[in-house]
Amino acid sequence: MSQKESTVELLTGKDCEGKKSRIPAKLDWLQSVTGLFLALFITFHILFESSILFGKEAMYKLTKMFEGEPFIEGGEPLIITALAFVIFSMFIFHAFLAMRKFPDSYTEYQRYRTHRKLLKHSDTNLWFIQITTGFAMFFLGSIHLYMMMAEPEKIGPYASSDRIFSDWMWPMYLLLLISVVLHSWVGVYRLIIKWGWFDGKDPRKNRKRSKMIIKTLIALYLLLGLASLTAYMKIGYEHQDDYGSRYISENHK
Amino acid sequence: MINKSTQKLDNIEGYREIDITVFRYSSQVKDSKPEFQTYRLVETPGMTLYIALIKIWSTMDHHLSFDFVCRAGICGSCSMVVNGKPRLACKTRTNEFEDGKITLLPLPTFKHIKDLSVDTGNWMNAMSKQMESWIHTKEVTDISAIEKPIEPDVAQAVFDLDRCIECGICLASCSTKIMREDFVGAVGINRTARFAIDPHDERTDEEFYELIGDDEGVFGCMSLMGCEDHCPKDLPLQSKIAYMRRKMVKV
Amino acid sequence: MKIIYTDALIVGGGLAGLRSAIAARDKGLDTIVISMVPVKRSHSAAAQGGMQASLGNSVKGEGDNEDVHFADTVKGSDWGCDQDVARMFVTTAPKAIRELAAWGVPWNRIGKGPREVIINGEKETIVEKDEAHGLINARDFGGTKKWRTCYTSDATGHTMLYAVANEALKRDIEIHDRKEAISIIHENGICSGVVARDLITGELIAYVARGTMIATGGYGRIYKQSTNAIICKGIGIAIALETGIVSLGNMEAVQFHPTPIVPSGILLTEGCRGDGGVLRDKDGYRFMPDYEPEKKELASRDVVSRRMIEHIRKGKGVKSPYGDHLWLDISILGREHIEKNLHDIQDISKTFNGIDPADEGEKGWMPVLPMQHYSMGGIRVKPTGESTGMKGLFCAGEAACWDLHGFNRLGGNSVSEAVVAGMIVGEYFANYCVETHLQTNTFTIQRFLESQKAYLQEILSYDGGRNIFDIKDRMRTIMQEKVGVFRNGKDLTDAVNELEDLLKMVKEITVTDKALCNNPELNEVYRVTKMLKLALCVAKGALERTESRGAHFREDFTKRDDENWLKRTIATWTNPNDTMPTLSYEEIDINKMEMPPAFRGYGKKGAIILNPLSEKREEEIAKIKESLGEVDRFTVQEAIMPFDLQKEYKRKNERVGVGYD
Repeated sequence: MSQKESTVELLTGKDCEGKKSRIPAKLDWLQSVTGLFLALFITFHILFESSILFGKEAMYKLTKMFEGEPFIEGGEPLIITALAFVIFSMFIFHAFLAMRKFPDSYTEYQRYRTHRKLLKHSDTNLWFIQITTGFAMFFLGSIHLYMMMAEPEKIGPYASSDRIFSDWMWPMYLLLLISVVLHSWVGVYRLIIKWGWFDGKDPRKNRKRSKMIIKTLIALYLLLGLASLTAYMKIGYEHQDDYGSRYISENHK
Repeated sequence: MINKSTQKLDNIEGYREIDITVFRYSSQVKDSKPEFQTYRLVETPGMTLYIALIKIWSTMDHHLSFDFVCRAGICGSCSMVVNGKPRLACKTRTNEFEDGKITLLPLPTFKHIKDLSVDTGNWMNAMSKQMESWIHTKEVTDISAIEKPIEPDVAQAVFDLDRCIECGICLASCSTKIMREDFVGAVGINRTARFAIDPHDERTDEEFYELIGDDEGVFGCMSLMGCEDHCPKDLPLQSKIAYMRRKMVKV
Repeated sequence: MKIIYTDALIVGGGLAGLRSAIAARDKGLDTIVISMVPVKRSHSAAAQGGMQASLGNSVKGEGDNEDVHFADTVKGSDWGCDQDVARMFVTTAPKAIRELAAWGVPWNRIGKGPREVIINGEKETIVEKDEAHGLINARDFGGTKKWRTCYTSDATGHTMLYAVANEALKRDIEIHDRKEAISIIHENGICSGVVARDLITGELIAYVARGTMIATGGYGRIYKQSTNAIICKGIGIAIALETGIVSLGNMEAVQFHPTPIVPSGILLTEGCRGDGGVLRDKDGYRFMPDYEPEKKELASRDVVSRRMIEHIRKGKGVKSPYGDHLWLDISILGREHIEKNLHDIQDISKTFNGIDPADEGEKGWMPVLPMQHYSMGGIRVKPTGESTGMKGLFCAGEAACWDLHGFNRLGGNSVSEAVVAGMIVGEYFANYCVETHLQTNTFTIQRFLESQKAYLQEILSYDGGRNIFDIKDRMRTIMQEKVGVFRNGKDLTDAVNELEDLLKMVKEITVTDKALCNNPELNEVYRVTKMLKLALCVAKGALERTESRGAHFREDFTKRDDENWLKRTIATWTNPNDTMPTLSYEEIDINKMEMPPAFRGYGKKGAIILNPLSEKREEEIAKIKESLGEVDRFTVQEAIMPFDLQKEYKRKNERVGVGYD
């Protein structure tokens, strides 16, 4: 937008043609797109993470696959850095867009909170979960993503477990897991309603159905995530005396 | 069914007592302090909040203010917050509250007048003007000639959205509206949808964008569905807001 | 002293008021509408079943035109109506509905081909013409020869009111809601506005205008059981009466609707019966065909209401804690029809009675009983809508005795009248406002303001200990019990006497709260006083009218008496200190009628004392027709009873298949 155009908008609320800006539409759409992208990413991320449940070897192989094996000998952790960078950018962009919806003063927050407590309405309560988890992820997500960018090589059955157990990262991961699962799936539910994706002939019935499916998915993903976290904890606990040593694949032995 | 009812009207002892707590405040009186006042009364069969409030007003407290007009759920005057939920008081029966305790608040987000009375009329008129809630056409109608034919299904679809009674409940159930005063709410977005599907109206999507294409309009909606879940006319707000949003992002 | 000046002032924001406001605004007049409630909450919104207009689109409306609508309306009125006005009305109604269609009212439309309907309790298939596809549909209603009632499901008034109100907003007509007119400002027989009270601040405001229109609806709330909204107190009519020079017409003509639901009194539209619903007694027996073999449940409302009470008096009513009632059965129409076309009815029945009318058999029957529904009486006006007693004061809609309905209004003719009068009277009113200039001055205005201020103070100073709510209750009970569907001399005398006592008793009350603003008890005092005056007009008028006509039925004078009573009751309140209205009568001239009095075709046979002039006029009409030879129906009509109407509205109406014939 040129300076002239934005000055006109500043003064009149409209563009040079006397029309409303198209930006709000784009922002709304982009918020949905980035959200959906991140939700899809998380869906797979947690699934991949849970490879530890199939054993250290499975997790190791998957890690190496993401580092580019077998195309690059031994894998290239910088690929993870790059991937984390893309996600981090998307994450920041999404947070930036979603912030538009946050209560932006005490008065707004107070009004929302009191109203929510009076109303006792499930979808309104879900949004409270979303802003709380969203807010939490500003920090939790940033820590995690930064670490992945800075030390991409420290992913692996032992490295990850040591980080979680011996480096005392597990409380953060526990909170992050809960936040991210709730935020993503509630977000997906919201997208379905927002854009009327599965309205069908009876939007009301289908909304109920969507909500039920989402609740089931939240439960499944929390279970899966917690199981994986427990597995890492167990490995970390057993591995604490060898802290720092890396896992060696069965093939290399 | 009434004739099968075992209750008799003259048998007062047979009925339970209910407590109705009402928010009392007058914005007109300078030293008025907001307070809650509780009235205890006998619940008669089929009692609605309309009957209960009229009884309180005519026999217990002549100074209590509230708004009723049609008392049949069609005019939208008597919206208030009943135990936390925005509802039409005339259509709310007291016997659905098992503990017999009912708290009534005026509808939030509207200008408060006194007690349970709020100013919905001026807000709704302003909204109707802002949404240009009338047919836009260049066609001049000859009212002596046969009317323009409309597909029966289309007429029915327009009617389904035209049933809105501007009661304000969608706004009072909406977190966005609670936080952001300028949000036009489901009532406004539904209104544009109503005209968007009316074949008499020649407005383009670009023109509708000028009405609701911002964060005070459809992009302000966070899809919390308070409107959909509380609308006393069961309007399809969920799908119509989505419909307008899809239209507007394509502009 | 707060004065608001405007060109055209309209009191009342229902269909008639808003449509008139549009007429005024379209002439470039500065227009203000004042209303007790937000205008879209007006009682017009409660009209359910539909609007009559002789479009003749549906196959069941074939052959319909202004003449048929006219005849139905005149018969319905029991020859009490003004036939000139009826002609103006039927000629404009199709235009009104087409204007509303263009303004977006989503009228139910015809789909070509076969469709299943219920007629006389039986399923029938009718086939709609191809060329009618997409045109405005109509349903059957009481007292009509054709299916003529156009509708939007059972929320017709709502969609009409919203369309008209939004058109008013489009034109930037100023709407001042929560303002109540409590007195008319006038001098030398000319009206120059009203004194209104701001119902929020209590402030008195003088609205001063070149012309003033009252469109405040009816006075149903003087009855204990009424389908009317709680704002239908007749205040607009009462302030006109209180001027002493404006007269009210036929106040005793009060309609009782056959099917409000018991006990809440919420209306179940005539469309229920129009679409094929039937009435049943305690044995589940459909009794109406026994009384009215031809029209059955669809005789006019006065007739059906009387037949129902008659049947209950025979011991056939269903006992309930709220008294005896009968059943309305629409379950035979099928769930799909009910959920689409009688949606609100289902909602009302479920919410207030816990009955789903779509449930088959006895389970879905809804308890009904006749209750007050419509006020045919009101401010007596000329066909232009201007008061007969005061210049510059116009009136339209239910508040007026224009007199379209005589002694009984046909279902579907009320919202129709509201819009049509808004067009016709609105136009006359607008012209008056254009041509007239204010003749008042601030001295006069102040005098009226001061007098209202003093009156309110006086009310607050009353200290007799009585309670206004008791007085109101008593009034409503008297009206219910003694001035109801069946009336007699003794009860009416009692009613008149007791109402007069109540009116005097108002000065013996005490208002607990002395605030001038936002004091609902104070509002109640002046309103009840005004309502008592109207109640007296109704009761006194009913007592004096020793015949039975339309909705007014005297058990001691069971015949319609055209020889002595083919006239309008005119009520005035000549002195502010009077406790009784002054009655006089206005003859209805048979010699000018297009349709001289005869049997209506339904109701009790042989219950008419015919006026010999009827026959004479019939012969005259026959002669006129003969002398004309082969000419079209418009020429015949014009020769028998020429009537004035704006050129735009008098144009011929086009119909499918017949063109402009």
